[in-house]
Amino acid sequence: MTLFDRVFNGSDAVYGLTEGAINAAIEKHGADKEVSFPNTAYSLPCYYGVTGTKVTNLGELKDALGVAKSLMTREKRLNDAFMSGVATALCAEFIEVLKYIDGAEPYSEPCYGHLADAVIRELGVPLVTGDIPGVAVILGKAPTADDAAALVKSYQAQGILVTLVGDVIDQCAEKGVNMGAGVRVIPLGKDVTAVIHVVSVAIRAALIFGNVAPGDAGALMKYTFERVPAFVNAFAPLDDVVVACGAGAIALGFPVITNETENIFRVPKSLIVQEDVSKFNATSLEARDIKIKITDINIPVAFASAFEGEIIRRKNMQVEFDGSRVDCFELVQTKDASEIEDHKIEVIGPDFDEFEFGSKHSIAYIVEVAGKSMQSDFESVFERKFHSYINCIEGVMHTGQRDMIRVRISDTAFQAGFRAKHIGEVLYAKIKNDFDAVVDKCQVKIYTDAEKVTELRHSLAIPAFNKRDDRLKSLTDESVDVYYSCILCQAFSPSHVCVVTPERLGLCGAVSWLDAKATNELEPTGPCQVITKERVIDERIGEYEDVNEAVKKFSNGALEDVSLYSIMEKPMTSCGCFECICGIEPFSNGVIIANREYAGMTPLGMTFPELASMTGGGVQTPGFMGHGKHFIASKKFMKAEGGIERIVWMPKDLKEQVAERLNATAKELYGIDNFTDMVGDETIAEDPETLLEFLTEKGHPALGMEPMM
Amino acid sequence: MPLNKKLQKFSATVRSVELGTGDKTTTLGGSNTYPFYTFDNPTTNTAKIGIEISDLGLAEEPDCMKEFYAGCETVVDMAKKAVTVEGADFLVLKLIGGDPNGENKSIEELVETAKSVADAVDFPLVVEGCKNVEKDSQLLPKVAEALQGKNVLLMSAKEENYKNIGAAAGLAYDQLLGAESAVDINLAKQLNVLIKQLGVDVGKVVMNVGSAAAGYGFDYCISTLDRVKGAALGQSDDSLLMPIITPVADETWSVKEASASEEDVPEWGSVVERAIDMEITTAVACLSCGSDAVILKHPTSIAAVASMIKALV
Repeated sequence: MTLFDRVFNGSDAVYGLTEGAINAAIEKHGADKEVSFPNTAYSLPCYYGVTGTKVTNLGELKDALGVAKSLMTREKRLNDAFMSGVATALCAEFIEVLKYIDGAEPYSEPCYGHLADAVIRELGVPLVTGDIPGVAVILGKAPTADDAAALVKSYQAQGILVTLVGDVIDQCAEKGVNMGAGVRVIPLGKDVTAVIHVVSVAIRAALIFGNVAPGDAGALMKYTFERVPAFVNAFAPLDDVVVACGAGAIALGFPVITNETENIFRVPKSLIVQEDVSKFNATSLEARDIKIKITDINIPVAFASAFEGEIIRRKNMQVEFDGSRVDCFELVQTKDASEIEDHKIEVIGPDFDEFEFGSKHSIAYIVEVAGKSMQSDFESVFERKFHSYINCIEGVMHTGQRDMIRVRISDTAFQAGFRAKHIGEVLYAKIKNDFDAVVDKCQVKIYTDAEKVTELRHSLAIPAFNKRDDRLKSLTDESVDVYYSCILCQAFSPSHVCVVTPERLGLCGAVSWLDAKATNELEPTGPCQVITKERVIDERIGEYEDVNEAVKKFSNGALEDVSLYSIMEKPMTSCGCFECICGIEPFSNGVIIANREYAGMTPLGMTFPELASMTGGGVQTPGFMGHGKHFIASKKFMKAEGGIERIVWMPKDLKEQVAERLNATAKELYGIDNFTDMVGDETIAEDPETLLEFLTEKGHPALGMEPMM
Repeated sequence: MPLNKKLQKFSATVRSVELGTGDKTTTLGGSNTYPFYTFDNPTTNTAKIGIEISDLGLAEEPDCMKEFYAGCETVVDMAKKAVTVEGADFLVLKLIGGDPNGENKSIEELVETAKSVADAVDFPLVVEGCKNVEKDSQLLPKVAEALQGKNVLLMSAKEENYKNIGAAAGLAYDQLLGAESAVDINLAKQLNVLIKQLGVDVGKVVMNVGSAAAGYGFDYCISTLDRVKGAALGQSDDSLLMPIITPVADETWSVKEASASEEDVPEWGSVVERAIDMEITTAVACLSCGSDAVILKHPTSIAAVASMIKALV
């Protein structure tokens, strides 16, 4: 027997029952007898939602049955099975509404049966906000009453709304499970047709909250699929009627998870066999893409940003992990969803109690994540947050990154019960909460076994870091398809727009192209939006039609055009939070750069604040631009005017910070060795004449270049 | 030489949002020129004025307000008096008492107050929460539920709680939604986009893009109003075409110019006059930079602002 046969058989059986019941009712009451559900403005909500027709009496109900029959097509195609499933659900609704004839109250404690519109409006709000993250429909009889109770409680603990149909209600009652709308466990009824009362909730949610027009079945199913996070848990044995109802659920976008193995046909993401009932919860959440918000981090000490700056001295240090002495590292790795068991935290090696007070050891923690929208480019973005996450733990200090980390655990944290696994708890909770848009599953491995850490550092961590560095090096403006806007600063610089490219990070120095990409993914309506770069206007100065359009849009019309690589022609604007300012130095045909920390005078006769007042405010000032420190060694640094060869002066501190990378770029572009030796600083000159003498003596290349203006 | 009038015509129009039901509705928005630029296009709908009262009654009000509401025993009495004020187009009930750091009144009690006020007056109504994000996210949905069918405006949904308030006011109970952001055009825009994505009809959304008393960081407020209006009209930016409502009294009555006693600063003159002047000055500035409605407190201020609006259109 195929799945089609089962659906069609079940659907025929229910149709037969319904027809019999309606005929019997007409015989008893007459065709004009009124039928309705109590306390709803939506007639028979499922039928009304799908067809747009209101049914008021038995005669109309009979007509409606004819419409349902017409949906029960019998081609062996998926759509026929789905529509037969929907028709089966409609039949169930007809059977249920007959129970309410003459104002009868067919359901009694603890069962609810039909739910009033008011309940839906009330449940709808937390459903829309995600406070109720999902709706579980549990159907049939669990293998044991304990299984039933455990499953219901697992959903309850996650805030998921649970509806129960069939024997599972008695099983829960037997185990003393507290039931009722207040505790979000709603027993509907013991007949399988009672399942329609939860379908009715989903349909009315679409009509009320989704503004779906009754009768627009396509929009209805789109809404329930996208916005009603429901799923079905159906216990074996499944008869054909349940299979047919299941097809209806799948048509609405609700996956069915079952432990039935006989005569069942797996449909990926829709009909899932999970033989282990204790795993129904995890399987269902994954199938329906439901993410549970973590509100409490389960650790014995406090977690707050107030502890971020806490310093742990040697005498208060229970144990230290020091990457400068022994092997240590921290790493995020993207895995396939099947390789990850969500919230699994493993400690491999001795725990903190086995270390002597004040001793030094190896540690490695690997956070493995999976998600449909996860990209390996985000790994380093997450990893950079570890410093803040671990520092926010009371009594724990963290410095450094990658394989140069140092972590100290204080004696008081240790005495409070803080152990290795709690690092995992914190990383798990923060990653899942902060990056829920891209992380579906996450597990943490903590290694304290020194040999294992050493081995993994060389076999896993270092190759991963090298790979990332290579990726960063290969990331050029030409190698990517899109750039990103950043308008985070518009609160105080209303017309400023940063165009963030791989080789030109945001001028604040805090937003690289990868950061912007991650921000865009995590907050799609946020400050970083995709900018295409398809229609080039002028390659030399880096001007694109699409970039100009984006800048005009994001600056609300204040800026018309901008170049990416020129300081003289249509330079990019600055807000006010630039790390550095670059300004033209006319005597030498060059530019000087001043960083924010530099308090002294520059050869332009202006200090940093004086330069800043000319450069900021979101206006284009040819000859001046704000930029990040990292941009100084970029091959795109004022490329249109000749590039870094133009740099004639920088404060000594800044020069030292960027020397290595800047010299490498100078060597690559112009074959100049130790370029920074030719660049002046405040110890050499603070006025243009002395600077010019120095540059002439050193043979600085800018002197022989074309004047910039 | 003849004067050639150059008219500034925009293709976009700020959405009109109807507040209240039946005969007593008032319309916010609907303009397609800069404020009071009647020479560009005749104004079809003028700016509106709300009069505010709070669930705390007169307890924390200045003497001049106690005088005005003299004889009122309850909040309902005050509401009845407020709606008779010449120039007031709608009533604003602030549920300040809900603030957990203040009186911390229960949600049931506040809903009851809102209901009794709504039942007592036949006038367009705006209900403001207590400004505590968490409390408001529970309180305002309940108010929306209790006042079904009255077409009230609930203020405010912010970035932190727009889902709760937006889903209740905009989706479940069919009320109007106030979207509040902090003096930044992009935040205002983002919140509107999020509210739209929630499924709320943008035609039922009114914005509060931030407010301040004149002289208290007011330039930020003004430039935000100006830019929002400019982007909405000039670029037909759909996510900014909501009418703007600005709570003015909230800001002006607490600053020192409005509250320092005559004993402390005799050289500043009458405290009542100062308070009213602050309120009028701020309101006029907001209206001339883009607010489609302002919320005021004193009847004298309301009369003055109403007469200005009338004179200019």
